[in-house]
Amino acid sequence: MASPVSVYNSNVLDAHISSTSRESLKMELLADVTLLPGEERIIDKDIIYICPFSGAVKGKVLITNYRLYFKSSDADVAVTLDVPLGTISRVEKMGGVSSRGENSYGLDITCKDMRNLRFALKQEGHSRRDIFELLFKHAFPISHGLPLFAYVTQEKYEENGWSVYRPVEELRRQNYELCDTYPAVLAVPFKCKEEDLRRVASFRSRGRIPVLSWIHRENRAAIARCSQPLVGMSGKRNKDDERYLDLIRDANDTAKLTIYDARPNVNAVANKATGGGYEGDEYHNAELVFLDIHNIHVMRESLKKLKDIVYPNVEESHWLSSLESTHWLEHIKLVLSGAIQVADKVSSGNSVVVHCSDGWDRTAQLTSLAMLMLDSHYRTLKGLQVLIEKEWISFGHKFTSRIGHGDKNHADQDRSPIFVQFMDCVWQMSKQFPTAFEFNERLLLTILEHLYSCRFGTFLYNCESAREQNALRQKTVSLWSLVNSKTDVYLNPFYTPESGRVLYPVASMRHLELWVTYYIRWNPRIRQQQSPVEQRYLELLALRDEYIKKLEELRLSDSSRLADDSPGADTSSPSPASSPTRQRHYTHLHTPF
Amino acid sequence: MEFSEHIKTANVEDVVLQQPLHPPSKGTLCITSHHLLFSDREEDSGRQVLLLLRNIDAVEKSSVENLVNYFGLFPNAGRSDRATESSGTLVIKCKDLRVLQLEIPGMEQCLNIAQSIETLSCLACVAEMYPFFYRPSNASLRDQWGLSTPERHYTEMEALHERWRLSTVNQDYSVCPSYPPAVIVPKAIGDDALKMAAKFRQGGRFPVLCYYHRKNGMVILRSSQPLTGANRKRCIQDELLLQAAIEGSDKGYIIDTRSAQQAQQARMMGGGFESKSCYSSWKRLHRHMERGKTLQESLIKLVEACGDKSPNMDRWLSKLENSKWLSHVQTALSTAGLLAECVERDGRSVLVHGSEGTGSTLLISTLAQLIMDPSCRTLEGFLTLLEREFVQQECPVFLLLLDCVWQLWYQFPLALGFSEALLLRLATEAYSSDYGTFLCNSDMERCALQVKGKTHCLFRVLLKPREREQYTNPLYEPNELAIWPSVHPQSLQLWRGFFLRWTQQTLHLELVQEDIRNMVIEWGKLALS
Repeated sequence: MASPVSVYNSNVLDAHISSTSRESLKMELLADVTLLPGEERIIDKDIIYICPFSGAVKGKVLITNYRLYFKSSDADVAVTLDVPLGTISRVEKMGGVSSRGENSYGLDITCKDMRNLRFALKQEGHSRRDIFELLFKHAFPISHGLPLFAYVTQEKYEENGWSVYRPVEELRRQNYELCDTYPAVLAVPFKCKEEDLRRVASFRSRGRIPVLSWIHRENRAAIARCSQPLVGMSGKRNKDDERYLDLIRDANDTAKLTIYDARPNVNAVANKATGGGYEGDEYHNAELVFLDIHNIHVMRESLKKLKDIVYPNVEESHWLSSLESTHWLEHIKLVLSGAIQVADKVSSGNSVVVHCSDGWDRTAQLTSLAMLMLDSHYRTLKGLQVLIEKEWISFGHKFTSRIGHGDKNHADQDRSPIFVQFMDCVWQMSKQFPTAFEFNERLLLTILEHLYSCRFGTFLYNCESAREQNALRQKTVSLWSLVNSKTDVYLNPFYTPESGRVLYPVASMRHLELWVTYYIRWNPRIRQQQSPVEQRYLELLALRDEYIKKLEELRLSDSSRLADDSPGADTSSPSPASSPTRQRHYTHLHTPF
Repeated sequence: MEFSEHIKTANVEDVVLQQPLHPPSKGTLCITSHHLLFSDREEDSGRQVLLLLRNIDAVEKSSVENLVNYFGLFPNAGRSDRATESSGTLVIKCKDLRVLQLEIPGMEQCLNIAQSIETLSCLACVAEMYPFFYRPSNASLRDQWGLSTPERHYTEMEALHERWRLSTVNQDYSVCPSYPPAVIVPKAIGDDALKMAAKFRQGGRFPVLCYYHRKNGMVILRSSQPLTGANRKRCIQDELLLQAAIEGSDKGYIIDTRSAQQAQQARMMGGGFESKSCYSSWKRLHRHMERGKTLQESLIKLVEACGDKSPNMDRWLSKLENSKWLSHVQTALSTAGLLAECVERDGRSVLVHGSEGTGSTLLISTLAQLIMDPSCRTLEGFLTLLEREFVQQECPVFLLLLDCVWQLWYQFPLALGFSEALLLRLATEAYSSDYGTFLCNSDMERCALQVKGKTHCLFRVLLKPREREQYTNPLYEPNELAIWPSVHPQSLQLWRGFFLRWTQQTLHLELVQEDIRNMVIEWGKLALS
């Protein structure tokens, strides 16, 4: 592509050098970008990055069909930006040809990941026109009839992440024999009387009938999820729905089914006006509990407020009270304490039904967090992937609408950081239980990076049917392919599996912390010592592996000597599980209710 | 012994104890001269609580008959118990932030117990304190006391010897009662000049060397304020002393831990600061640090907020902010950072002082050494640093120091050789201890009471192999570089391990830390064998 850069460039040196040497200069400056297979250069340009921390930085920007990359040309201020275009929420022109003041003419870019970028260009000769148009087009491909990068990339990985979650296998793991003790619920899609089912579906918002999310191995209590019942102002009833919920209760013979409505009571009442509502007294043998979690709009505004106090400048003088007034941690607390209630109920043997309005936002948060508390499998590297695939992706959390993939409509009211909030809750739990999770913080950060990047197919589309229509699994790569091809960096060296242990985090403001390494990660002054710690973790992982190897050798030599009287001889090889620490039997932490 | 005068009731049966993290239990309460002892009646539980009376901060009496509560706790208690006379309740607030509640049958006994605790918990006489009576079977009073001495400190730093000497001018504590008998001073300054300079500094705390930066030969000195007074008095020996300290360099810094205005005001009270005209090679920087009462009040507010048991903990973050404790942490760390910056980055020597030169001065000189000097970051190095700079009795500044060190540990998980558990242990021992380490405020007092001959040394115990292992940081990697803390409020955290110590969650995290440490030690033993 013939670059028009030199024409408008005031840099005398640059204007006079031949195109080949200009190419080499470009190469030098942008040499350390490794483009992904399938990634192509769109444009590059001399530009000034108005860095909120180092001030105006001269350099070069490269835009490809995947990323915006900037590198400073001045060796003294080493600033590099590497921003997947999917992260961009909004691109605006800043200032006009006649704007006064230094660096007042350029581009303002709002990102979805807690930062904004501002670039300045020379005012002469419409120097930003081409870059603005190209950036706008490629940052919002869907609005321009272009494919998302996930459909363009040619990346290949050893592992195939699309095979991580297989619904039937996952149910088997939960000790659930297909068509055994719980036919009415699970068999629904295949076997249940079509008519009954259709009648239940007609009574649930968007036809989202109660389905099984998880079942307790021993007490057989189940977590079912659905949308709100269509009770409406007139207080409609549906016998099939009532019977259906009673079947869920009956599945393990508990006296009472608990229905958790994630919403605040008043909101649930207000929903009646639009045809929705909640389960009333007509549901015998059921109790209804409201969990007071606010809707997607409240969460969006809350995170926006948080962004205001951490980017570009962090609030200094009244940090804690400002943080308090964003209510972000309070929302985290409510989501966590809701999930704790669900987990606690199930672990004491009672089946539960969880819903909110549509059952794809708060419901997904609650069921997946409760499952994380109840089932240690989900606390492994693969398990978390399964949990996300199952409770979020397959059950239709509307990723495309909530994130706004490739869509220029930045003010869309459907956007909301519900999944980010879930990741935050997982992080809070991992802080409170440092040895209970096989994965580390890096995994959570990576997932959130690619929640926006559109490099992988994992978080694309709103539901399974759209994914099938667009041949997602055939045409794109799964994020889990990346993760599972190089697991070391995502592992927690101190992980000590304790199957059967229920984790109850403390959902009290005193014990919750702002996830600084995520929300304030762009501020170089706040940055914590991440990379040396990660390096140290890798060393410790290697040490642990060496330990396990030696232990295995010892065990083998022991068992060959003792031949048959060793009781442990036929157990499987020691997983990291079996030994590194003396097992301590914790009493479960008591929750604040 | 006169302790017995204060104990009217030594034993009470059927006392109900409620303490954090445990169900209530019933048993025998016993008050001795230094301890409160509670033994559970249930034999198999075998639970005992042994509390140093010194640890008790306050006792609150309430005479309310609490029979309902009492029977609520023990539903199977026999009817005959009901006939017992009214009981009294004591709420005991400890300096380690624990809150215990005792229900004591019989009002009179209850009042006796309360009175004994009140009197015995705040004995003013140091020589009567428990460390002088503590005689563990596995240690002898002849064991070595302390980790280092000024002499050894001086001998170890050979690079220093060319320009600095060890002076014993304070051998008999007559020049400065709060200094050790030997101090490091510029070679060019004789003992007579030191005596003159001491007269010009509050409490006799003339400028002495406390840190030598190997990388560039710069030093940190500390002192108290100069006694310039309203008439702008001068002391030529003091000026020469400071000039000699930066010989060969054109400039030094003075970090005054008071605001410029406070320093001005101090002149009216006979204190003051180093004026530009008399100390032309020195540049003064004022950084206001809160001290004494303000700090104590802040601590009280914070502890109150943390102990607030109401289920509706509204506005927790605002309460935390209002206590201002974290902003004191911020000021301390940023002033220490400034000090380290002057030495390490600017390559200047620095004199630090406030008024007395015993509170914030020691706080920031200690922190700056941790920031710059890798040898202070090992377990032994850290304890030696504390011994050299900062051993004082029960002061909020010491807790502030430990909090700041915790922040460093939190921000640099690999850089310190010791763990949070050590900081917690020190925070507890500083307020009430079996050991003599934190007794008294100066060497002179310690000497007069023969602390070193009549008590055991905590620091030496902490370095015994078994204890040492317990306090190591499993992630530790020696690092030659300075560790510059981030002092933005976003980077500072409440030290939950201490302030929310008596909660299930904190206990759980303590155990997990212990597990992690044992894990890594075990891996290392086998994998590297």
